[in-house]
Amino acid sequence: MVKDEIPVVKRSLFSWILPGNLKFQLLLLVIIVVMVFARVLPLEMQKRIVNEAINLRNIDLLLIYSAIYLAAVVFFSLLKYLTNIIQTIITQRTTARMRKALYHHILTLPLNFFRKTQPGLVVNALGSELTLPGNFVGMAVSAPVTNILTLLAFAVYLFWLNPLLAAVSLSIYPIIVFLIPLLQKGVNRANKKRIVAARTYAGRIAEAISGIHEIQGNGAFEIENQKNDRLVDKLLKIRIVWSLYRFGVKTANGFFTSLGPFLVFILGGYLSIKGQLELGALVAFLSAQERLFDPWKELIEFYQVYQDGAVNYNRTVEYFDVEPEYQLAPKDREPLELDGSIEVRDLSFATDSGIHLLEGINISLKPGEHLALVGFSGSGKSTLALCIGQLYKYTGGSVLMGDREVSNLTKKDVIYNTGFVSQNPFIFDGTIEENILYSCRAKAGTNGRNGENGLPSLDDIIAILHQTGIFADVLRFGLNAILTHDRNKELIEVLIRVRKNFQRDFGEELADYVEFFDENKYLYFSSVSENLIFGTSKREEFKKTNLSTNHYFTDFLKQADLNRPLLSLGAELARQTVDILGNLPPDGVFFEQSPIAAEELDEYKLMTAQLKKKKLHELSDAHREMLLELALRFTPGVHKMVSLPQILETLILEGRALFREKISRDDPEAIRFYEMSEYIYSQTILNNIFFGKTKTANPKAQERINQSIIQLLIEEDLLEGIIEIGLHFDVGNKGDRLSGGQQQKLAIARVFLKAPRVLIMDEATSALDNKSQTRIQNLLETRWKKKSTVISVVHRLDTIKNYDKVAVMKAGKILEMGTYDELITRKGVLYELVGKK
Amino acid sequence: MSLSEKNDGNPTSELEQNLEFLRQTYFFSGLPLEALKVFAYLCTREKFKQGEYLFQQDDDDGQAFYIIEGKANLEREQHAKIHVIRECNSGEFIGGLTLMGDMRRLFSLKATTDISCLIINREKFARTMEQFQGVMPKIFKALVNRIDSWEDHFLINRTDKCLECLRDLGVSLL
Repeated sequence: MVKDEIPVVKRSLFSWILPGNLKFQLLLLVIIVVMVFARVLPLEMQKRIVNEAINLRNIDLLLIYSAIYLAAVVFFSLLKYLTNIIQTIITQRTTARMRKALYHHILTLPLNFFRKTQPGLVVNALGSELTLPGNFVGMAVSAPVTNILTLLAFAVYLFWLNPLLAAVSLSIYPIIVFLIPLLQKGVNRANKKRIVAARTYAGRIAEAISGIHEIQGNGAFEIENQKNDRLVDKLLKIRIVWSLYRFGVKTANGFFTSLGPFLVFILGGYLSIKGQLELGALVAFLSAQERLFDPWKELIEFYQVYQDGAVNYNRTVEYFDVEPEYQLAPKDREPLELDGSIEVRDLSFATDSGIHLLEGINISLKPGEHLALVGFSGSGKSTLALCIGQLYKYTGGSVLMGDREVSNLTKKDVIYNTGFVSQNPFIFDGTIEENILYSCRAKAGTNGRNGENGLPSLDDIIAILHQTGIFADVLRFGLNAILTHDRNKELIEVLIRVRKNFQRDFGEELADYVEFFDENKYLYFSSVSENLIFGTSKREEFKKTNLSTNHYFTDFLKQADLNRPLLSLGAELARQTVDILGNLPPDGVFFEQSPIAAEELDEYKLMTAQLKKKKLHELSDAHREMLLELALRFTPGVHKMVSLPQILETLILEGRALFREKISRDDPEAIRFYEMSEYIYSQTILNNIFFGKTKTANPKAQERINQSIIQLLIEEDLLEGIIEIGLHFDVGNKGDRLSGGQQQKLAIARVFLKAPRVLIMDEATSALDNKSQTRIQNLLETRWKKKSTVISVVHRLDTIKNYDKVAVMKAGKILEMGTYDELITRKGVLYELVGKK
Repeated sequence: MSLSEKNDGNPTSELEQNLEFLRQTYFFSGLPLEALKVFAYLCTREKFKQGEYLFQQDDDDGQAFYIIEGKANLEREQHAKIHVIRECNSGEFIGGLTLMGDMRRLFSLKATTDISCLIINREKFARTMEQFQGVMPKIFKALVNRIDSWEDHFLINRTDKCLECLRDLGVSLL
């Protein structure tokens, strides 16, 4: 189809009107023609009712004409509704198609483009900026056709009724067509001035507010007020002129259109008195005349939508009118399978402004050879790696991959043969599994799960997890998962069984890191509600989140004298948390230790504002529930902003016993208390094995815990099952629930899983600890030597000894290249660098 | 604001204590309260037993420590021998530079008594810095002053004892 061949940024706004909407637009046309007829028909009926029915005193005729009138009006309304629906469908479909096409285009633009483009701008362009153009396309056929046809129909009808009268009353419109644009120019001029003045004013206020300490320090209120007041006065004048013009347009339009009936009365009245015009015709004429105004108004509005829509559309597509540097996929062949050799000849790369970032680079690598790129930051290492990986388009020389010029390859050829791990890898929202399959899915062009459609199997994934050292992390995610009643039955049985062995074997060793559940002790790493209930329930009303609204439970709190102290604790928690986190983004790092979740923060902000003005008992029920909810979540070991008063701790411990007594009497089935022999469904797998909770997030402690747990899981043959659960861990937006190191390991894992012939690593291990770096380095040397060509931008010189070649770069040039030993013997730059280190 | 308004009857919260500790360090003391509160909230308390390492030479653990209680020895292993550089005491802040960028430890820190300390790591530091844009220059300033006065102090007081070292001095000229 033609539309697919023209890039979206070259399409005019008009090109969206018919393609893809043809059927809807044609349907609209048919409906409009019928609609215009249905709009004029009542006028004729009006005339006949007056002239025939009333004049001849004929009731039958009156009823018939009225019925036709009514039918026409009903029919017209239905059709109008129908056109609105179709128009909306066209608008929405077109906007969606524009958004898709533009997004598809944007993703293919050169990396360079995004250096200068803020993400917010793209969001805005794809979101609000395309709304008006979409609206225009929806109206593009119906609005002008309907209104022009209606205008014409009315005009013809008017001429048919009385040519002279019609000519006189329509003579006003040319005046309006001439006058309105003139006034509109005035509006636009004043508007521009207003925008400039408003900006100056905003800047002035911003300046005053940020310099408020200076103003108050000098007591310079008068000076600042004068500066401000002058601007306000200026803005006031401009706004008045602007408003005068705007109302001028409105008034002129209104005035001239209402002059029409006046002329009709004068001339029509005269003709009627003289007997040259029937009374019915005059009534019909007046009606038609008045109804001219609506289509006229709609036409002017449509003109506005067109203007605004065209401006927005052109501005948007012009901004993104950049050519992608490479074709996405080959048209008439399968993607190439290259042999992994790399030949770089006299390569140079210059920026748009002519600065040479790379010059005269020559490298030759046989398939399977490993090259380390070394140098200070800014020496061009990353740029070179990006050029070889086709992410930057080199401006001179050549890069041959498997004897093919990289700049002539399609994107698909490149991703079939290379893997790229960047300095700041990006992890997308989704599960670990989705992210680990990301590169393989992209290569295969499918969204399947592991083992499907040629994607790696679970065993392959587990192997890669081990190799890249993210295994322990995924295991932990698995161990931190909460199992449900209906699934994982077998696993649960095993877990209860191993709990006892675990406490026997590791209990003492881990006592420093784990707080075991003990009925007689306050649990500082469990919430207030867990401390009170000390059990778990299948019933909805006893689930953690529902306790604050559960009357049985809130009544119990009152009995146990806990209600007010908890509300007061909740209030303090809300105040402190909002105070600290109030202006921070919903980032996992900030909310890990917060009792308020990121998405609840706004609600609690409003509530704390109330707390400043009101006493606890004056708050609304809803707000008190929020406070209670917060207090019930409070976990002293995690939420450090408030401390647990000793008296409240004692009250809660007493409350635990009281609650157990009460519920055992009232409803013995409701709660299953924590017992060594019961699985606790509200707790994670790990906490179930522990029969307690971990006290620390310290990496060393975690490592020790992991060691004992892994040993146990291997003995019980549970490892794979837990890893599979861990693979379903949701990494959060931009992977923010993962640490920097975990993100980097995941990024390495996803490329290793693809096992590319050419592997480009751009400081790919910079966020990893020593051990993990060494592990990855060993992996490269053992598993990838001779299999994949590796180009690695290296930030630590102790890892480069076993590379086949080392290239030392400075200021965009390779200073020396050879094996590590050769370069050290030569006592050149590398020797110096290593020495300095 | 509410941190200064004490809650009647409640003991001082860990956050408030952390805030007091951070305010005593050269690294954090110049920061605006808004940012300081976030750091006080994000840092964690850890305990180390006598003989345990807080960090080890050659590791890049990316953590800064404030010793709340206890003592530790700063050690360096060279030519298979361990040299004790000096003793670190409660109230000391160690590792501010580590927060700013990748850096492997040139020393080890070994607890000589049981230690309780406050830890903030590089990642939390960086994410918080993204939120408070005016704060980085203040930290740079504090660091520059610290390095400068350290070397000044060294030149005035120590160089006569270590004439050999003179050739390699000049860290403040970096």
